[in-house]
Amino acid sequence: MTSLTDRYVAATVRSLPETQRADVERELRASIEDDVDARRESGADPETAEREVLIGLGDPAALAARFSERPLYLIGPTNFLFYRRSLITLLAIIVPIAALGSGLVHALTGEGIGSVVAAAVVTALSAAMHIGFWVTLVFAILDWTGASKNGPLVRWNLDMLPDAPEKRALRSDAVTSIVWLGILLAFLVYAQFFPIAWNVDGPVREPLLAPALWGFWLPYLLVLIVAEVVFVLVTYRRGAWSRLLAVVNAVLAAAAVVPIAALALAGDLVNPDFLAAFDWADAENTRSVAGIITAVVALGIGAWDAIDGFVRAARSPRRRRAA
Amino acid sequence: MHNIVSVVDETTAQHLQELRRGTVVLACLVTLERPGYGYALLETLADAGFAVDANTLYPLLRRLERQGLLVSEWNTDDARPRKFYRTSPAGRDLAGLLRRDWDALHTAITDLTEGEPS
Repeated sequence: MTSLTDRYVAATVRSLPETQRADVERELRASIEDDVDARRESGADPETAEREVLIGLGDPAALAARFSERPLYLIGPTNFLFYRRSLITLLAIIVPIAALGSGLVHALTGEGIGSVVAAAVVTALSAAMHIGFWVTLVFAILDWTGASKNGPLVRWNLDMLPDAPEKRALRSDAVTSIVWLGILLAFLVYAQFFPIAWNVDGPVREPLLAPALWGFWLPYLLVLIVAEVVFVLVTYRRGAWSRLLAVVNAVLAAAAVVPIAALALAGDLVNPDFLAAFDWADAENTRSVAGIITAVVALGIGAWDAIDGFVRAARSPRRRRAA
Repeated sequence: MHNIVSVVDETTAQHLQELRRGTVVLACLVTLERPGYGYALLETLADAGFAVDANTLYPLLRRLERQGLLVSEWNTDDARPRKFYRTSPAGRDLAGLLRRDWDALHTAITDLTEGEPS
């Protein structure tokens, strides 16, 4: 027959096991020719008939997959959920560690903040791609070899039930808070030893915060950060907010933002030598405006945090139950 | 039968398709009590109201053969050699079992519809 059918049949049997190939080829060809003949007898012209039959059979790769009973997906429903859980867990653990480690190594070799961040981002992306690729490959091979036919690798059981929603929300709050506090802590220490900004002459070696603050206020703020971490952990362990925790939260917030605002308004927060490195920031006006903005933002964040604590305490299911 | 499908909406068509999915195997096993080849079987099933796609039926016949429910033989008497399938004794047993199940389902559905205890 014509070359279209030849090409179709060849494309179908190409991926079949050697033992089936000749038999499927012969049978498929006969079936196609039967169908084409039937259409010609009912008046279609030969070329159109052949095209219609082949289009009706569809993609030869799909037909071949049906003959060999191979799946047309990478990861089937049997292990998909286990695959997704594995992927999320590995990404959540390995990517931050890799990014942090890479950033740390670059920071310790004294590179600027730009290349530290760039290194961390590049490492995070490449770690994520590696994890995605290899985990998917392993699971795809499982499906391809038919290992998934014996059921999921890990059967679901009751121990895998997630925590109650309030507990989960508290945990994600706790993780978020601790990550941010860690970043803040790292920044305070980093900004003391490494340049975080550049002017036309290159990196600015002066620290951002006024060196005089190390006399009392910076150690005080570092202690507050540690206290805040302890507070977050206590809240998480208790499993719910209470009026007392909200009060402690408000006190901690006030203890942090009131001094920051006062220092900013007095112009004692930022190192004058740091500002002196920038022409635009050196003017008296700019400094006082920046001080006011800093104070307002700090007080705003503190107020929001304190109010948020009381709102959570009021909504806490434990309190409702007690009431 | 299949012109019903062409006028109903997508959801209905999907339910109909799911209901009929298993019946194609039974239809093949019953029809192939008399030997037949791929395209002829496709026509017979279509006339009987089983609108099976060719790309579903041909692989299905091979699968049933591999499972020992059909036996096949090449007939080279005609100008065009064709592979003839015939229901095996095991296929006949399965067809009987499927029919009994089909009848039981029919009875059960009828009872449910008429609100009688089965």
